[in-house]
Amino acid sequence: MGLIPNFKNIATRSPWIYRINAGSCNGCDVEMATTALIPRYDIERLGCQYCGSPKHADIVLISGPLTVRVKDAVLRMYEEIPDPKVTVAVGVCPISGGIFRESYAVLAPIDQYIPIDVNVPGCPPRPQAIIAGVAKAIAIWRERL
Amino acid sequence: MNFLTIFARNLKQGPQTEAFPLGPAFTPDRLRGRIEFKAESCEGCRICERVCPANAIRFAKTPDGMTFDCWHNTCVFCGNCEFYCPTDAIHQTNDWDLSHVNADKFDMVEHGLIPNQTCVDCGATALNTAPMVKNAKPPLSTEEVAEVRARCPKCRAKYLKNRKVPA
Repeated sequence: MGLIPNFKNIATRSPWIYRINAGSCNGCDVEMATTALIPRYDIERLGCQYCGSPKHADIVLISGPLTVRVKDAVLRMYEEIPDPKVTVAVGVCPISGGIFRESYAVLAPIDQYIPIDVNVPGCPPRPQAIIAGVAKAIAIWRERL
Repeated sequence: MNFLTIFARNLKQGPQTEAFPLGPAFTPDRLRGRIEFKAESCEGCRICERVCPANAIRFAKTPDGMTFDCWHNTCVFCGNCEFYCPTDAIHQTNDWDLSHVNADKFDMVEHGLIPNQTCVDCGATALNTAPMVKNAKPPLSTEEVAEVRARCPKCRAKYLKNRKVPA
C-alpha cells in the first residue's frame, strides 16, 4: 500500500502537453512551439513534454477561435484525452474570439463547448506568458490527480 | 579546434535558458502589453474605440458620466489606441503576464470613469474631460486649462474665443 502514494508523487512530476489547433492563424502555435522546443524557454524544466497522441496527454493547449469547420474534430479529439485533464486557452481567440469575434464562421468563446481552466490572453502571448499559464495549469492538475 | 572555443565560451557564459518560471523574466521596456487608462487626461474623443480592430474598448454613457472599459481578453496589443490618443490618456505597459484561471475571465478589464460636472458658467451638466487645447496659441497656462476644464463644451468654446491674446 505504501507504494501507491509514491507512484502518485512520481507521476505528478511530468505532465505531458498536447496541442489542439482550433482554427488558429498559427501565431500562437509558433509561440507554443517556441515555448516547448527551443532551449531559451525550455518548458521541460517543469517536466512538460509535447506528446503526439491525445491519449497520452495531461495538459491541453488550445489555440484558435474554434471555427465551425473544425468543431467536431476538436471535440472528438478532446474526448480522447484521459481524465484528469487541464485545458489551457492560448491567445485571445479561444477566450473571446479576438479580432474574429462575431464572425459567422467562428464559435468563440470556446468555453461554451469545452471546459477551460486557464486563460493566457495575448495576440500571440509571449512564451513567458505561456509558461506562466502552464505553471498555473500544473498546479490545478496536481490538485485533480 | 573551433569546438574548443565554443566549449570554453559555453562554460564561461552558462546556459542560454531564461530563468523565468524560477526567476525574473527579461522584459523590454517598450514591450506592448496590458493597456492602462488615465481617466483624468482623457478628452472623451473616443478615437480609441473607433481604431480598435478587436472592439476591445467600449465607452458607455451612465448617470455618473462616461465609463471606459478595455477588455484584456479581447485586446490584441496592436497599440493603435495609444498611437491615436491625442492626450496620452491611454498607454501600453510592458506587463505581459495576463494568464488567469477561467473563473477570473470577466474581471480582466481596465475600467475608467470620466465623471459628470456642473458647468461654472451656465450650470449645465457636462463631462469633466480634459480640454482640447493642444493647438491653442499661445499655449494655455495651467490655471487657464483648469478654468476651461470646469466648463461645458459650449462655454469652453466661448471662453477660448473671448480669451485675450497679446498681439
